[in-house]
Amino acid sequence: MCLSTVYKNVMEPASVVMKNVMAIECREGKVILTDLMERQVEIIGTLESANLVDGYVIVKESE
Amino acid sequence: MHLHHDHLGGAHDHEHSHTHTHEHTHDGVTHSHEHSHAHSHDHAHPHDHDHLHGEGHAHDHNHCAGACSGCQSQCEHTPQEELVALMKYMVGHNAAHARELAELAAKAQQVAGQGAYEQIMAAVSDFEKGNLRLSAVMAAMDVK
Repeated sequence: MCLSTVYKNVMEPASVVMKNVMAIECREGKVILTDLMERQVEIIGTLESANLVDGYVIVKESE
Repeated sequence: MHLHHDHLGGAHDHEHSHTHTHEHTHDGVTHSHEHSHAHSHDHAHPHDHDHLHGEGHAHDHNHCAGACSGCQSQCEHTPQEELVALMKYMVGHNAAHARELAELAAKAQQVAGQGAYEQIMAAVSDFEKGNLRLSAVMAAMDVK
């Protein structure tokens, strides 16, 4: 229900991929993020964890 | 192919054309297609637009909270537009939480009595007052 901040690999400020993320889709080996303004970012990797209380998500990038 | 693309209200108006991939889920089916179109629009939200899919059927999207669903264009949004969109989201989000708290109050009445109910409902009232204030600020920002 709440918007989330998505981090790549580790949860630290330098790893923020996108803020105000309202939708996450995992498809064909990619994690597709969409923010409130409908901008999209794709990361090749997998969803590692999502904390919906604290509003953060970590995506593990494929090597 | 877009039939039309109307953005309601707006800070500025411009014309552009672009190609984008469109993905939709409707009637339980997700599909995507690419199309290009040119249009002129005011850059403020919410907005409506109708378009045709590859299959040839048209439908329209009603958007809210500044989200350009279905229009994955590279339109750039001003900081003010983003702020207003976020504010709209927050105000709606807070209203939803206020409703949830009111439901909790009803449950608390059964479990902990009338006092608990009244206290939670007082909190809901305070919450709604705060949200009303945010709403007023948002409306002021939206018209500038």
